[in-house]
Amino acid sequence: MSLVYLKLFVADVLPYIAGVIFIIGTLNRIINWAKSPVALKIPTTCGQQKTLPFIRRTWEDRLDSPYTMLETIGRMILEVFLFRSLFRNTRYWLDKQRGVDTRWLWLFALAFHYSLLIIVLRHLRFFTNPIPGFLSWINVLDGQVAVVPSLYVTGILALVALFWLWARRILCSRERNISYPADHLILALVAGILITGNLMRYIFKVDLYAVKEVALGIVSFHPVSAAVVNQIGWIFFIHLTLVCVTIAYLPFSKVMHFAGVFFSSTRNMPNDNRAHIHINPWNPPYHGITWEEYYEMYKDQLDEIAENGYKVKPEV
Amino acid sequence: MVEVERKNGEYVKIEQRFTSWRDLLKPVTEKDFKPGFYHYPILKRDAEELGIPYRDWDPLEPDWHLPEGWKETFLNKFKELLEKHRQFKVFMDICVRCGACADKCHYYLGTGDPKNMPVARAELLRSIYRRYFTKAGKIFGKWAGARDLTEDVIKELYYYLYQCSLCRRCSAFCPYGIDTADIVWRGREMLQSIGTVQRFSYISIAACARTGNHLGLLPGGMAASLRNAAEDIYDITGVEIEVPINKKGADILFVAPSGDYFATPHWYALMGYLMLFHELEERYGFTYTWSTYAGEGGNFGTFASYELAQKLSHKIYEAAEKLGVKWILGGECGHMWRDKHQFMATMNYPPPKTLEDPVNPITGTYFENAAEAKIVHIAEFVADLIEHKKIKLDKSRNDHWKVTFHDSCNPARGMGLYEEPRYVIKNVCNYFYEMPEHTIREKTYCCGSGGGLLTDEVMELRMRGGMPRAMAVRHVHRKYGVNFLCTICAIDKAAFPHLFEFWKIPVEVGGMMELVGNALILSDEEQERELDLRGDPLPGKGGEE
Repeated sequence: MSLVYLKLFVADVLPYIAGVIFIIGTLNRIINWAKSPVALKIPTTCGQQKTLPFIRRTWEDRLDSPYTMLETIGRMILEVFLFRSLFRNTRYWLDKQRGVDTRWLWLFALAFHYSLLIIVLRHLRFFTNPIPGFLSWINVLDGQVAVVPSLYVTGILALVALFWLWARRILCSRERNISYPADHLILALVAGILITGNLMRYIFKVDLYAVKEVALGIVSFHPVSAAVVNQIGWIFFIHLTLVCVTIAYLPFSKVMHFAGVFFSSTRNMPNDNRAHIHINPWNPPYHGITWEEYYEMYKDQLDEIAENGYKVKPEV
Repeated sequence: MVEVERKNGEYVKIEQRFTSWRDLLKPVTEKDFKPGFYHYPILKRDAEELGIPYRDWDPLEPDWHLPEGWKETFLNKFKELLEKHRQFKVFMDICVRCGACADKCHYYLGTGDPKNMPVARAELLRSIYRRYFTKAGKIFGKWAGARDLTEDVIKELYYYLYQCSLCRRCSAFCPYGIDTADIVWRGREMLQSIGTVQRFSYISIAACARTGNHLGLLPGGMAASLRNAAEDIYDITGVEIEVPINKKGADILFVAPSGDYFATPHWYALMGYLMLFHELEERYGFTYTWSTYAGEGGNFGTFASYELAQKLSHKIYEAAEKLGVKWILGGECGHMWRDKHQFMATMNYPPPKTLEDPVNPITGTYFENAAEAKIVHIAEFVADLIEHKKIKLDKSRNDHWKVTFHDSCNPARGMGLYEEPRYVIKNVCNYFYEMPEHTIREKTYCCGSGGGLLTDEVMELRMRGGMPRAMAVRHVHRKYGVNFLCTICAIDKAAFPHLFEFWKIPVEVGGMMELVGNALILSDEEQERELDLRGDPLPGKGGEE
C-alpha cells in the first residue's frame, strides 16, 4: 500500500518541490551576486593588450586579452563551452623543476560536462509530445554503437569521466587534501543518477510509455494516477528521487559555478581599462595630504628647488 | 620529499605532507610558525598615521591581544566587503576545488606546504564565509567546509595571507577565473580592521602618504638623488643633463617607483630614463618633469586595502593637474602597473579635465589604449620612438649581455604588456633568449617577493617562492649562456639579486631602460663612450688601452 503512495509522491510531488527549490535558490544566488556592485575592472590578461599598431596581436591574444565587447564575448564563449583556462593547464614536476602541458583534467571535464548536457537533451523526449526533430537526431547520433537497444555513448562516457574525476580526488594526494565531503557528495549523487539510468536502460527495463506519461504529467501539471506508476519498475523511482534531490541541492552547492562563471570579473570584462575607465559606484572621496598641505610641510626644500629653477644639474 | 640543487652538493629540501580535508580546516598557529615565513607586526607610528587600530603584540606569543570586539569587527568588515565587491562574493561561492590552481603557485612549489595552494589560501576565508554567511555552513559546520572564527583562525590568516605575492598566476589557470589576489586583498583588509597586519608594506604606505614616495624621501632628498644620477651620467658620457623637478607647464609628468632613486640595479634604469628624456629634449624640444608630491609610481596600498591604494594613487593625478601637464608617463614597475592600468583611474574618477589626449609629441602617435586614463607605460613610449626611428641606437654596446626577459606578474597578467618590452629589448641588444614557455608571458613565475613580501624576515619564503623562476633562469643560463635578466619591475630588481645569490646563478639583473641607456647615442655626446651605465668597460672598448 505505502509503496504506491511513495511512488506517487516521487512522481507527482517531489519534482515540484525540487523544481521550486532549484528555481528560487538559483535566482536567489544570482540576485545576491548581482546586488553587489563591480568595484574594479580586473580582467586577467592572458594575451597581448591592444596597443601600438605595429605590436603583433594574434587572434589568441584578442580572445585571452579582449579589448572590445565582441572579443570579450568570444573569451566567455571559449571559457564556457571549451574550458579555455583548463586547456592551459600544466603540471609542475618538482623533481625536474619544470612544467609540462597536461590536458587530462580538461579532457575529462569536457567529456563529463558535454555528456551530461546531451543526456539532459536526450531526456527532453520524455517531456515533449510530439518530439522535436533535433531531439531525435541527438538520440540517433548518440546511439551509433550497435547493440540492442542501441548503446548511448554519452551515458557510458559520463560515468567513465565521473569516475576518473572522482578517482583523482581519492587517489591523488593533492586533490584528496582539498576535497570536502561536499565534493564527494555531488559526485556520488550524479554517479547514482547515471548508474540507475544505465541500469534502467539496459538491464531492469521499465515501461517507457508510462514513464513518458509521468514526465508529461509533470510538465503539464496533470499528476498521474496509481495505475500508471504501478506499471513502472522501482528503479525508475530511485532514479527520479536522486535527480530531484540533486536538483534541489544545486543552489546550495558548488555546482552554482555554472551561473557564477558569467559573473567572474577576471573573465567577463574587457582589458580596456585605460581607454574606458570603469566607474565604481561607491568610490570614496580621497583622504590624504593635498598639494597645498604638502607644500606647507616641506616649504624650505620645495622653495629651494624653485630657487634653482625647478631643476637639478650635475655638479661638475 | 624532493631536493632541489643550489650548487654542487648543496640542496634545498621541499617536503610535501598531505593529510585530509580536516586539516584544511584546522588552523596553523604560532606553535607552527616557522622563522623566515611570518611577518613582523605593524609599527605604532604607521598604524596611527593610517588610522589602523594598534596594539603591542608578537606573532610568536600565544596571546595576540586582539582588540575588544574583534570578532564582530572582522565579520562586519567581511560583510561590508561582500556587499562592495561582486567578484569577491562570486569567488566565495563557485570554487569546485578542481585543483587546477594547486601547482601553479610558486609558494606552494617552493615550500610544499599544502596550505599554500591557491585553493587552500582562498579556503581560509571561504570556511569563515560558509560558517557565517551561508545556511549550509551554519547547519552542517565542518561537514560543509565551514569553521568558527577563532583567535587561532586569525593567526592562520595572518600567516598565510602574507605568503601570497598577489601575482595572479593561479587566476590564469582557474576555469572560473577565481582571482586569489583579489581574495587575499580582501582578507588583508579584514585583518587591517583589527590591526593584525604586517610591518613592511605599511611602513612604505605611511611614508608615501606623508612624503609622496615609499622611501619617505623629502623633496630635497629626491632632488639630490636625481642630481647624483645626472652626475653618474656625466662621468660616463660627458654630457651634462638637467633634470626638471616640479616644473610647471611641462608636456609630461614622469613617475617612477621610488626604488629607482636609490637601489641597485634600479639606478641604471633611472640613468636610462634621464638620458632618454635629455636626448628627446635636445633633438625634439620634449619637455617633462618629475614631481616630488607624486614621487612614487608604485602603490603598496594595493597590497593592503582599496582606501589605502586610493590614498597613494590620488597624488599622481593631483600633481598632473597642478603642474599643468598634458599626460603622464610611468616608469618600470610591476604592481604599479596593476594599479595604473586597472585601479588608478577608477579610484580617482574622473581624471583631471586639464589632461589632454596622450599623444606622443615626437611621433604624433595617439596612445588610444590610454585614451581616458592618460597614463602611458615607458615601454609603449620607447617602442613607439624606436618604430618611428626617432632615437639612434647602437646595439653592440649591449653585446656583453646575453639577455632574457622576465615578465613581471602585474604588467603581464594585469595589463597584457608582453610584446612592447620585447620589441624594445630586441632593438637595443643583439642577444636575446626566451625562458621556457611555461615560465613566461601569462604563465610567468613571480620573483617570490612581490605583494608586500619584500622584507628580510620572510627571506626563506622568498627564496623558496622564487625557485621556479630561478630554475628557469638557470636553464637559459646553462643553455645559452644568458648573463642578464631584464625586468620591468622595481621589486624584481630588488629581489632577483638575492634570489640568484641563494640559488647560485651567475646572472645580473637590470631594467629595460638600462639596456636602452647603454645603446642610446646621445647627439651631444662628444667622446666615444667606453663604459656602460654600470661603469664597466663596453665590449671591444676599454680593455684595449
